Amino acid sequence: MRLWPYYTEYATEFDRVMSVRHALLALLCEGPKYGLQLRQEFEERTGEVWPLNVGQVYTTLQRLERDGLVESDGASDAGPQKGFRITSEGMEELAGWLRTPPDLSSPPRDELVIKVLIALHVPGIDVADVMQSHRRYLVELMQEWTRLKEYAADRDLGFALVVDAELFRLEAVIRWLDAADGRIKRAAVDGPASVTSGLPRLPKKAGVLR
Amino acid sequence: MTVLEMRDVSKVYGEGPAEVDALRDVSLTVDSGELVAVMGPSGSGKSTLLTIAGSLEQPTRGDVLVGGSPLSGMSRDDRARLRRRSIGYVFQDFNLLVGLTAAENVSLPLELDGIHAGEARAAATAALDELGLGERASRYPDELSGGERQRVAIARAVVGDRHLLLADEPSGALDSANGEAVMRLIRAACRRGVAGVVVTHDAQLASWADRVVFLRDGRIVDQTAPLPGPESLLASSQNP
Amino acid sequence: MSAAVQERAAGPAAPKAGRAPARRAMARWACRLFRREWRRQAFILVLLTLAIAATTVGLGVASNASNLKADPTFGTANSIITLPGSDQGLAGDIAAIRHRFGTVEVVAHQPVPIPGSVSTVDLRDESPRGPFGHVTLRLDSGRYPTGPGEVAVTSTVAKDFGLHVGGVWRAGGRTLRIVGLVENPLDLLDQFGLVAPGQLNPPANVSILLDTDQQSLDSFRLPSGSDLTTGRRSAAPRVQVETFVLVLCTLGLLFVGLLAVAGFTVMAQRRLRALGMLGALGATDRHIRMVMLASGAAVGATAAVVGTIVGLVAWVAFAPTLRTIAEHRVDVFALPWWAIAAAMLLTFVTAVVAAWWPARASARVSIVAALSGRPPRPQPAHRFAALGGVLLVGGVFLLALADQRRPVFIISGTAAAAFGLLFLSPLAIRALAAAGGRSRISVRLALRDLARYQARAGAALGAVTLAVAVAATIAVSASAAQTPSVAGNLPADQLLVHLSSAVNDLQGVPALSASQRQSATRGVEQLASAIHARWVLPLDVAYAPGSGTLSPQPGGAGQEGAHPGAAGGAGGAGGGYPTPALAKVTRIGPGEEVSFVANLYVATPAVLHHFGIPVTQVAGTTDIISSRRDLSGLQVFYPGDQGGPNRASSGIAKPTIQEVAQLPNYTSDPGTLLTSKALRTLGLQPIQAAWLIETGEPLTPTQIQTARNAAAAAGLYVETRNMQASLGALRTWSTAAGILLALGVLGLTVGLLRSETANDLRILAATGAGSGTRRALTGATAGALALLGALLGTAGAYAALLAWHHSDLSPLGHVPLVNLLLIVAGLPLLAAGAGWLLAGREPAMIARRPLD
Repeated sequence: MRLWPYYTEYATEFDRVMSVRHALLALLCEGPKYGLQLRQEFEERTGEVWPLNVGQVYTTLQRLERDGLVESDGASDAGPQKGFRITSEGMEELAGWLRTPPDLSSPPRDELVIKVLIALHVPGIDVADVMQSHRRYLVELMQEWTRLKEYAADRDLGFALVVDAELFRLEAVIRWLDAADGRIKRAAVDGPASVTSGLPRLPKKAGVLR
Repeated sequence: MTVLEMRDVSKVYGEGPAEVDALRDVSLTVDSGELVAVMGPSGSGKSTLLTIAGSLEQPTRGDVLVGGSPLSGMSRDDRARLRRRSIGYVFQDFNLLVGLTAAENVSLPLELDGIHAGEARAAATAALDELGLGERASRYPDELSGGERQRVAIARAVVGDRHLLLADEPSGALDSANGEAVMRLIRAACRRGVAGVVVTHDAQLASWADRVVFLRDGRIVDQTAPLPGPESLLASSQNP
Repeated sequence: MSAAVQERAAGPAAPKAGRAPARRAMARWACRLFRREWRRQAFILVLLTLAIAATTVGLGVASNASNLKADPTFGTANSIITLPGSDQGLAGDIAAIRHRFGTVEVVAHQPVPIPGSVSTVDLRDESPRGPFGHVTLRLDSGRYPTGPGEVAVTSTVAKDFGLHVGGVWRAGGRTLRIVGLVENPLDLLDQFGLVAPGQLNPPANVSILLDTDQQSLDSFRLPSGSDLTTGRRSAAPRVQVETFVLVLCTLGLLFVGLLAVAGFTVMAQRRLRALGMLGALGATDRHIRMVMLASGAAVGATAAVVGTIVGLVAWVAFAPTLRTIAEHRVDVFALPWWAIAAAMLLTFVTAVVAAWWPARASARVSIVAALSGRPPRPQPAHRFAALGGVLLVGGVFLLALADQRRPVFIISGTAAAAFGLLFLSPLAIRALAAAGGRSRISVRLALRDLARYQARAGAALGAVTLAVAVAATIAVSASAAQTPSVAGNLPADQLLVHLSSAVNDLQGVPALSASQRQSATRGVEQLASAIHARWVLPLDVAYAPGSGTLSPQPGGAGQEGAHPGAAGGAGGAGGGYPTPALAKVTRIGPGEEVSFVANLYVATPAVLHHFGIPVTQVAGTTDIISSRRDLSGLQVFYPGDQGGPNRASSGIAKPTIQEVAQLPNYTSDPGTLLTSKALRTLGLQPIQAAWLIETGEPLTPTQIQTARNAAAAAGLYVETRNMQASLGALRTWSTAAGILLALGVLGLTVGLLRSETANDLRILAATGAGSGTRRALTGATAGALALLGALLGTAGAYAALLAWHHSDLSPLGHVPLVNLLLIVAGLPLLAAGAGWLLAGREPAMIARRPLD
């Protein structure tokens, strides 16, 4: 559970970020497949980090068929032996989705940033100390991911990519901490005015504090 | 089995108003088989810590013990002997002597220590083979890629019976793939019993270490907890 | 594990045998680096190579040409006594000399006239095994004469008289069989015939070679009471030649050594990071020093071998030229091999020693500083400057004390002055950088770079300064030493036809009848057409028609520099009318000693017109016009009626001498003329005595023979050039060589400095600086170094020369303005221009930084 504040997006928001719908379309690109096969392959491809229940797969397949993105081999009940094939509309849908940029324009709610901003104004709290405890935490996390990579990454390309993504993300947070550290230090040297001016008034549009 | 021990080491550069405290009362112990990363922003005294640990510089106060022997009582030549027998260095970008082939670069510390050329060359070739550079052994440094050069430097730092491997941003000038390869080699060396110290500002690099020590304004301010097994991470992620 | 580490680290030093691999590894690296970057070390390499090559050639010249121990006339003796053959108690006198001075060598002489020439052939009975004279004899073919009626001659004599080995020569009333060809290896122009000892009876005169001091020679009196002529080998110039060689040697070694230090300093700085890396790997200070020393050894060994080979090739090519210049026997393979080996060793040692200082310095730099490429802080310039000033003043003072002859003082003075100049150079660079603080950016950058890299810029400037000092010294000395004797008697394309064979003696002008005079004129015309002369200039001397004629004089007393054997005057027309001459007259007791300095021809309108001198140029009060500058204190000597050197003379005691540059400065040419005013003063009239003939092309031996034959038929005597090539040419060459040396050093230096700032150039190019900036940068560097070097070098050279000539500054009165201007102004301009021209090329691979 201790991972929770930082370790979020890929696992928990999987449904939102990558729909099962598109994942199944991607698997069907390789050729016609049975429902059961689809589920197994899905779990293999995602490094078994994200389990999927059977009902979810079949519901999604039915919707896809309804929308004309896949075709079934005609068997009436949606059993594990029913075969599926992607249609040309399905191919177009998949290609369009792959190229659609993720929604990065509105940054996620960032707990760490908020904590640091608040720490600046809480008397008796050393911001650098706060930041260091986060930093240590982050590095420990990265150590664990690195250890995973050291043992497993050679064997599983998909997993290695996921680990790299985690590492780079965590590193980015640490780098923000380092930069913030330097900025706060300089501000303290330049004069206290800039520190005590209250929470920064950010442009509404950025919506960091939404 | 402590290989490197630094006791309350301080280092002051310059004098008078230009005086700078590079290190203040730093204590650090590195055991055999352990890889320690020293992390800190630039100017935090990382490199000074490394050069003092490697006997390239003398601390202003405090003691450094390598393999149990204090450096303070040693003559210049004694320290040089210690370096060629027990300490291996890997620097960021400039590591190899031009004019010597990869194998000759690796065998140089052995030859300096009086081991005959043939024997030293055999040991060097073996070390390079181990790092997958066997067929590059007779190339000159300017015929090698950056990653290969850094790997040769690691081979040189561990060849013979070295106990202490000191690396200063060893993958700083490399892309991430080559940097990862370099760190894997350093880890492998540590697994064989070498005590390693890596100084860096790069968290990815530091995360390869067993223990990360945070340096700030010449002081050690924090360090990471001992690492749990790798399984813990997966376990935690499976039930959010 | 910890226990094992402790044991190794604290254990005893590696066994002795363990040192060899380390040494080998260091040497291997140094040699590999040398092989990789020998082009970068070309500076040192070229200089050392040039030095050893020059030394090799110099040793060849020294051992072959200027045999300092021997003299073509004196052999290895230092004194000579000449007795006239007319001496009644000759045998007794010789015995007395032998008794008084111990080892002596007696040589009898008899001159043999060459038909139609003023020259004579000296027939002598010298022994090839004589204690002093053996070095002046060499057998070319056949054998030495051993019995009566045998003779060996020189090849020139054989040609002049049409002789061959086995043939017969009728010489001066003797019939001699030719048994061999000989030469005087120290003077190939010495024309003589050699008979067996004791075969010249009676001789015209006898010369006795011996070793003694001036005082015993002066105090010696002959038992017969006869006059004796003594001569001493002039010691002064010999010592000067020796010291000159020594000084040059010192300077050269010093020079190359200093430059090598500069080069190795640069090399050490370039390798600083690698040396730091080596230290981090566990190399001891000794190992690090060894790398630099091994580099020095590699450079030294390469330079020694290549330089010696180059020098030997140059020597073989130069030897024939040297033979014609010096007229010495030059044996190409008679080189002092041990000295060349020593020079090679010295080159090697110089390189190693020069590498020592940078090696020591780089071993001392802390490893951390070395790894980050930070060189040690340079010593402050003013400390060097103070030392430099002291050294320069001390060196000049020592040179003054040396009094032109004490070698230790000369060498130490030269060395101190050179070091002083070197140590002053950093300050000079600082000053220039400060002066150029407001100039445009490229010039300012160049000057600041020079000041920042003081160690190498200072050494480089020192090198340029020394090179310029050498060039300036040569130029000023050459100008100071410019005396007429340098030029020789006549240019190669002129000949002089005399009425009398005794040109330089007090024989006067022959009293000829009108018809004799006419036939002589006709003879000259025929001679001139036979050799295709361009012009003929009749020359007059002054005489008094009413005076009596001189009685023939044996021996040319008081004449300077005549060969004792040739001095007798070979026949000729006997007594003639006395003529005036320019002479130095010294009063000795009741009599006078008269040394003749110059012949006096009459400044007839024809002569003046010929040399392009308008009559108005000669002032009305002038007695003498001359091209020579060394005539002050001389007087016009006229023997008068019953002339003779011991008689109180008439003449003009203090003639007004006017220098006229258009007149020729060869000794036999009409370079010193009596004006009509002097003729009036002396009451003399002109009379034709000689004809100057010019062909336009140097005379060939065939032409000379033709002229002699024609002259012999008409009863005339021909004088031709008696030296083959002029030493003046040699001087010109050395001036040019000195300036070339300075330029070469400058070029190498600028190349060295600019190669070091290649990074700057790269950055400049990256920030958009075009070729103009690059050109300006390089040009300014070269020009600044050249300007400073030229100023410092010229000043240093003048200081040294002033000290050298401090007792008599007159030789320095004539300043070679053109040469000095060329050095001080021309060198910097040339250097800046060359830098400008050569720096236009884009530096290769701007983006790529070579691996350190």
